[in-house]
Amino acid sequence: MRVTFTVNGSQQTVDDVWEGESLLYVLRERCGLPGSKNACEQGECGSCTVYLDGSPVCACLVAAGQAEGRTVRTVEGLSDTGLDPVQEAFLDAGAVQCGFCTPGLIVQAHDLLERVPDPEDAEIREALAGNLCRCTGYEKILDAVRLAAARRTAK
Amino acid sequence: MTDIQVTSPVRDGVGASAPRPDGTLKVTGEFAYASDLWMDGMLHGATLRSPHPRARILSVDLTGALKLPGVEAVLTHEDVPGAKLYGVDHADQPVLAIDQVRYQGEPIAVVAADHPETARRACALIRVVYEVLEPLTDPRRAALDPSYEKVHAGGNVVRHQPIRVGSVFEADVVVTGEYEVGMQDQAFLGPESGLAVPAEDGGVDLYVATQWLHVDQDQIAPCLGLPPEKVRLTLAGVGGAFGAREDLSMQIHACLLALHTGKPVRIVYGREESFFGHVHRHPALMRYEHGATRDGRLVYVKGEIILDGGAYASSTPAVVGNAASLGVGPYSVPNISLDAYGVYTNNPPCGAMRGFGAVQACFGYESQLDRLAEACGLDPVEVRIRNAISEGSRIATGQIVDMPAPLTSMLEQVRDLPLPEGVSTDLRDLPGGVANSTHGEGIVRGVGYGIGIKNICYSEGFDDFSTARVRLEVIGEEAAVLVHTAAAEVGQGLVTLKAQIARTELGVPNVTIAPADTQVGSAGSSSASRQSYVTGGAVKTACEAVRERLLELAAKKLSHDGLALSGGKIVSVSGIVVASVAEVLGDDVIEETREYRHRATAPMDQLTGQGDAHTQFAFCVHRAVVDVDVELGLVKVVELAAVQDVGKILNPIALEGQIHGGTAQGLGLALMEEIQVAGGLIRNPSFTDYLIPTILDMPPMRLEILENPDPHAPYGLRGAGEPPTLSSTPAIVAAVRAATGKSLMRIPVRPEHITGT
Amino acid sequence: MRPFAYERATDVRSAVATLSERPDAVYLGGGTNLVDLMRLGVVSPEMLVDVTRVVDATIEESAGGGLLIGAGVRNGDLTADPLVRGRYPVLAQAVLSGASGQIRNMATVGGNLLQRTRCSYFQDTSKPCNKRRPGSGCPAREGDHRNLAILGHSSSCVATHPSDMAVALAALGAVVHVEGRHGPRTVPMPGLHRLPGDEPDRDTVLEPGDLITAVELPELPFATRSRYRKVRDRASFAFAVVSVAAALDVADGVVRDCRIALGGVAPVPWRAELAESALRGAAATAAEFGRAADIELAQARPLRDNGFKVPLARNVLVGVLTDLAEAR
Repeated sequence: MRVTFTVNGSQQTVDDVWEGESLLYVLRERCGLPGSKNACEQGECGSCTVYLDGSPVCACLVAAGQAEGRTVRTVEGLSDTGLDPVQEAFLDAGAVQCGFCTPGLIVQAHDLLERVPDPEDAEIREALAGNLCRCTGYEKILDAVRLAAARRTAK
Repeated sequence: MTDIQVTSPVRDGVGASAPRPDGTLKVTGEFAYASDLWMDGMLHGATLRSPHPRARILSVDLTGALKLPGVEAVLTHEDVPGAKLYGVDHADQPVLAIDQVRYQGEPIAVVAADHPETARRACALIRVVYEVLEPLTDPRRAALDPSYEKVHAGGNVVRHQPIRVGSVFEADVVVTGEYEVGMQDQAFLGPESGLAVPAEDGGVDLYVATQWLHVDQDQIAPCLGLPPEKVRLTLAGVGGAFGAREDLSMQIHACLLALHTGKPVRIVYGREESFFGHVHRHPALMRYEHGATRDGRLVYVKGEIILDGGAYASSTPAVVGNAASLGVGPYSVPNISLDAYGVYTNNPPCGAMRGFGAVQACFGYESQLDRLAEACGLDPVEVRIRNAISEGSRIATGQIVDMPAPLTSMLEQVRDLPLPEGVSTDLRDLPGGVANSTHGEGIVRGVGYGIGIKNICYSEGFDDFSTARVRLEVIGEEAAVLVHTAAAEVGQGLVTLKAQIARTELGVPNVTIAPADTQVGSAGSSSASRQSYVTGGAVKTACEAVRERLLELAAKKLSHDGLALSGGKIVSVSGIVVASVAEVLGDDVIEETREYRHRATAPMDQLTGQGDAHTQFAFCVHRAVVDVDVELGLVKVVELAAVQDVGKILNPIALEGQIHGGTAQGLGLALMEEIQVAGGLIRNPSFTDYLIPTILDMPPMRLEILENPDPHAPYGLRGAGEPPTLSSTPAIVAAVRAATGKSLMRIPVRPEHITGT
Repeated sequence: MRPFAYERATDVRSAVATLSERPDAVYLGGGTNLVDLMRLGVVSPEMLVDVTRVVDATIEESAGGGLLIGAGVRNGDLTADPLVRGRYPVLAQAVLSGASGQIRNMATVGGNLLQRTRCSYFQDTSKPCNKRRPGSGCPAREGDHRNLAILGHSSSCVATHPSDMAVALAALGAVVHVEGRHGPRTVPMPGLHRLPGDEPDRDTVLEPGDLITAVELPELPFATRSRYRKVRDRASFAFAVVSVAAALDVADGVVRDCRIALGGVAPVPWRAELAESALRGAAATAAEFGRAADIELAQARPLRDNGFKVPLARNVLVGVLTDLAEAR
């Protein structure tokens, strides 16, 4: 089937999509956007988090056909120039180790800060509870979100 | 050379929180993990696995699979051109099953097709007729009952390592306990993946996520019937490892398919397949008996540790070595009779995971120390202090600890850290958190301690080394360093550290890290907390050699004696800058390759376990504070505090990340993580059912990092990744015991163990 | 995954017409459960009819003084809705305690009600399962059933219903609006989900073609005093071991009325009617709450390894009711 949707600001038409493919597969294998990661393909880890019509979702559980006509924003599309403050903060705070969870966490944290510019720790934890990280124990991830919030507010 | 003091004003050298060179790519999504690799015309591989833990294969019919449009190859063991067996320690595992299967998930056939879904469907069309046999799943019988059926013809005991010290096994105070550790999974996020590309010379290039390129090459090449130089490996982006990539998974399969079809073949495991596709942490059954004086000084320890290695050996022998040699913990024990066994069963194969045999033992001996404290009416920290080893002590193997071992002060330090405030009034901080499952009515606070000892680097006489090639040249009028090793960056930050070492040793800020591949000598494995030590040592040594040649070149070109390298400049004896590195180099290129070995170790005596088996010891101590809802069985870890001696801090932010992450994996083992196996079958191969800690499960962590240098190690450093994984588990369980009064002999602890019903 | 066709519905009637004729077709809502089950091979429909754009996705006050929640409302929007949070906090809490933010952003109310069980044998196509393959057997009875049912199970199935939201809806006595072959009708909760008996493959009373279009919450003023509590194996993102949804109406220390349902303990969201009747008119004390819980749980038939759920359910139930009695 053919799927037409907007990805990171530009319209894309993808042909020969098999109905059983997920939005994640289409992004990674057909749109050349492998930034969203395939860690569990069951919606359990959040590594594939992308914005779908402005809300973060697990792209692995979105059937390709469900993306038709909709707007998708991936980690690759968070910033037009340079790094988004959330990306920068993840680097500076040491929140990146193996990095496989990082793109999903960054999209989810980005959404949190769009909605709640100055979140309490408990809000950060609740917002990121659907994103598994196996390397960091989350401490530096919390630091990163706090740092990003502070920098965004200061701007 | 020795009198040259390299004062390092260079930015981002050793000791700095230098940024990761791969960091920007990782936050933008551009970093190429093994599962992201892509080539025009590549095929997708899939693996048919056994649904049975033990069966004879009566027939395999590939007809249906071969007929499916889009399928380009379907291979079985008959298509393996070389050796049919492989293994990281000894070759006992078939590339593809031959006539029988020994665990659920054992690969039987592999398929290459034009779409991953086509490949999976082809697998489903392969008809295998099994004669299903009763699986052998009792590790105790496998260890101790010679009449138990055998998983492999050679017998079920992979290794039995006794420790025998002294002969006094009577004491005034005796405490005993039987402990059990469930099967933990490494649960890295980036599933097993790789891309094999057939080469014109008849060989193959494999881009893969692994922990040790050369040991992969050593196992792959014989099975392909190729000389090692025709099997070239390059490290692709690795999404975590923690031991799970020490054994081969899809490597040989992808190469077979690529060579067979003449096309690139990518294999990417899904999460479920990943649970079947790698080894796990050995589950353990442990019996301990500790005898002590009334004032809590250990007289003897008797112990038995049975580690279930599952169907194939993997690294079971080395895991047994650790469990035995470190089985009484960091304590001086004059009399020891301990037996560690690693056995074959038809359970899932187990091998390397962070902590590697020392984790299981630590839960046992630390639980025992708490029992001893109680029996003697002592504080748990005090009983540990009374028995802790120190520099100059002997451990269970008779080896003298010839490096700082400040356990007493570490224990005092963690005990004296301020405690977190009392039970919170914020519901989100209580057990159950946002699930609103408690309102504080049944909450009891507990505090517990754990301390562990971990050997760093490979032990027991293994020739453990790493290789580094360092090249210094002028690029664009600027001195530039290229560091090339085969060491696997798995997330730990070695790639950052290598650059920091080169900057410090050569004073050149511009350092590039070449991709890790087999075009340079082996670096050994990214395991045993050894890469900072061994590959760090190799980079340092190679840089020193480059520096020596640079100064020779400077002496020749500048006709000047007594030159030194300082702050990236060539300076005279009086410290006056006489030239820049670039000026001295001109068009010359200096390249040196060096191997680095840590001090040799010795095997353990087969009957007594005695021997200088380890080259370095590392220590971490944890204090856990928990709130337990005793009515609902819920645990909220309120805070984890750790004191760890790392010898020398090379990169503070990366080091903290290692301690945090290791602590988190220990929390997982204490409270939730277990691969549930029944009758040889894994019941929970998914992240829905195999639970790892979320950000809501992890408490704030408080770290105190000590730098007592090990004189034998580069920069005095100590391996740091594993020790926190040992000690956080017993500390948390001790805290839950303190809160509940329950004995909690098994981990992970579940709500019903706390509610006691 | 078996090949299938994907079709986007243009309106409710034609979607219902399509499914009424094609027993091999299923509706696709948020997809968070269905896509996963298809990938696992647990279900293999030949056609998906995507109804996300035709099913109502708004929350409005109903004629009866309650709320009418469109079946297409995303779980995330449901938890954020001020009317829901204010009048039926138990529902917002229940939904918030399930899954993750990302999943709640996709999952719909209709789909949440129709989630399939998380029993590991149901999910594992290499094993028998009467719910997945009728007549093949139930290995869970003798096998791994720590997290399965203590109430309402049968010899053919011991699975639990996984939804948190449905537990709250069962407690509140929600009414499910269904569009079917013969037009619209309503199904009261509890009553949508059915006990397994000897037909465990049928989770609900819905007929082929039936499409859930909305869920109506009745007017229930005392539901402002309602709560959901969930015990699970980690702090977030895990299915309930035991959960309780309850609303309590107390005056002068006496229970005037109450609504109680249990989750994680039965093949359906378990409305605790025996406990409710025992409590009406009783003193609002922990002792009475315990007595009511005991009456309800006297029906429990725990399996070998899940007996712990009986006292656990009692503790949670007493805890929630005590809490509600003390709340102002």
